[in-house]
Amino acid sequence: MPIHEKNLIRPENISTHDNLVMDGVDVSGDWSTFIKTRVVADYNEELQDEIAALPGGEYIHRCWQCGSCTNSCTINAINPDFNPRYWIYLIRMGFESELVRDKDLIWQCVSCNKCTSACPRDVVPEAVMKATAHWLERKGYTKKSSSTVFDEVFSEQVIERGKIEDGEVVMSFFNRTGQKLTQPWLIEMVKRMIKGLPVQMLTMMGLATVFKPKTRNWGPARDAINDYIEEQEALLDEKLGPSVPYKAPEPAPTQIPAE
Amino acid sequence: MTKPFLIIGGGPAGLAAAHSLASVGQKVVLVEKENKLGGAPILSGYAKLVPSGEWAKDAIGAMVDRVVGNPNITIKTGATVVEFSGEPGTFTAKLSTGDAIDNSASILCTGFTHFDSVNKPEWGFGTFPDVVSTTQVEQMISSGQGVRRPSNGEKPKRVAILLCVGSRDRQIGREWCSKICCTVSAKMAMEIREELPDCHVYIYYMDIRTFGLYEEIYWKSQEEQKVKYIKARIAEVTSDGDKVIVKGEDTLVKRPITIPFDLVVHAIGMDPNVDNMLISSVFGIDLHHWGFLKQENTYGVMGATSRPGVYVAGSATGPETIDDSIAQGNAAAMSALAAVVGQSMAAE
Repeated sequence: MPIHEKNLIRPENISTHDNLVMDGVDVSGDWSTFIKTRVVADYNEELQDEIAALPGGEYIHRCWQCGSCTNSCTINAINPDFNPRYWIYLIRMGFESELVRDKDLIWQCVSCNKCTSACPRDVVPEAVMKATAHWLERKGYTKKSSSTVFDEVFSEQVIERGKIEDGEVVMSFFNRTGQKLTQPWLIEMVKRMIKGLPVQMLTMMGLATVFKPKTRNWGPARDAINDYIEEQEALLDEKLGPSVPYKAPEPAPTQIPAE
Repeated sequence: MTKPFLIIGGGPAGLAAAHSLASVGQKVVLVEKENKLGGAPILSGYAKLVPSGEWAKDAIGAMVDRVVGNPNITIKTGATVVEFSGEPGTFTAKLSTGDAIDNSASILCTGFTHFDSVNKPEWGFGTFPDVVSTTQVEQMISSGQGVRRPSNGEKPKRVAILLCVGSRDRQIGREWCSKICCTVSAKMAMEIREELPDCHVYIYYMDIRTFGLYEEIYWKSQEEQKVKYIKARIAEVTSDGDKVIVKGEDTLVKRPITIPFDLVVHAIGMDPNVDNMLISSVFGIDLHHWGFLKQENTYGVMGATSRPGVYVAGSATGPETIDDSIAQGNAAAMSALAAVVGQSMAAE
């Protein structure tokens, strides 16, 4: 009978000894494979509350682990390691280190929301995935995703002027994500716009680039939005602690240190 | 002499209430919507009942017989109450047949409606012939035909029973546990294994709620009949044209599953009776927020509704077992009797 639980055993926890004698008995070789005891020492009992404090994570406490989210999941069908049910479990139990292990998977949610309509308890797993991805960013485990950077650029302009200016959005986004403006597709798009769009529209766009249009009487709205954001940020700081900037992992040592 | 007691619904609760009131010399009028007494166990053709293992037609049939032969009980089948007025002791009910029934108190034993699985289309009921409900399997067993695949009449080699179909599901507005489906499914799985020893039976569950003494049925199904339980809620049921394909995740071992079955059974839940809105308006009583008939009092008076003199018993109050429905029928009868006799004694 195959051992179905094998996928729960991590390769780094399997140890095989070329030369091992126990109590006078030679147990060298493959057949004496050992599985190291898995020890989780650092539970974060606040983890569920931290995720719940982020927008979308509010209903995580409702989950009763039926697995509807995972087995309706678009990404899980391609990659069985993408498992929202399992992550919700880890979060609720406070297995932070186990969760962080999957930090490069969690953000891959495509927000198809099939889980949302399958969940019998309205956990809204898609939103929980989003909250978890933001939690990973905020804790400095993952780099700010391009979509987060885009959201920031976009909302900064809306908050400032009540409107966006397309050119500025594109330029700031490319700038902040370290991409060159001279992308062939972008050059081609601008060329075709100049060729194909009516002169009047091009003129308006040009003026907008220079003068940055603003919604009339925007000031009070901007102040109110900023106050709200400040309030929410303070709440998050209180629940999650201040944002931690992302630190790239140190390159793997070239030499294996002697034990 | 007090006026008769009016009992609406001829299922286990109504039959029990009618019999106990008649036994103490009271006149009873029993009104039943269908043309036959017995309620869901008889009308839906249940097979063996939990926990006694008696056939429904014998166990509930005997309850029907003793009511039918009782000189104190008048039976009105094919009738519903369309108007209800008056005060405790002097109610009048107008029936759909035109009769007017003077009564001193009424007991609503109007039961439930089986969940219709087409409301969970992802699980294939109504799309694939080999996806059936527990009620249909009960009928296969009680008719003597045995458990067969509806598509070709063959004996199934692999059967999946999906629990919580129409229960504990916010997506379809049914947040209650239907109480009996786990036990019924465990019992049904054993019956299938007894009839077809080569058939593998899998039960897919979120939680197992074989409450109280019913735990024994859960244990037996595993220990004696080797029924397999998998903690998983199924994502979708499809078909390759022959087999029914069940897809999900075995949550305990974190492993995706895609398994072909010959027969998939939906363990359907208990909905409030579809007529409850009408019943609530005719009798002027409150509904529970999930649509069942609301019990006004948990500890003092059994079966009281929001209207004095009108009582409720059985699965009209929420998902209920047959034996508890019978107990509630008797309890409501006692409540009604106590109130009516007490009132007439006070008047003398």
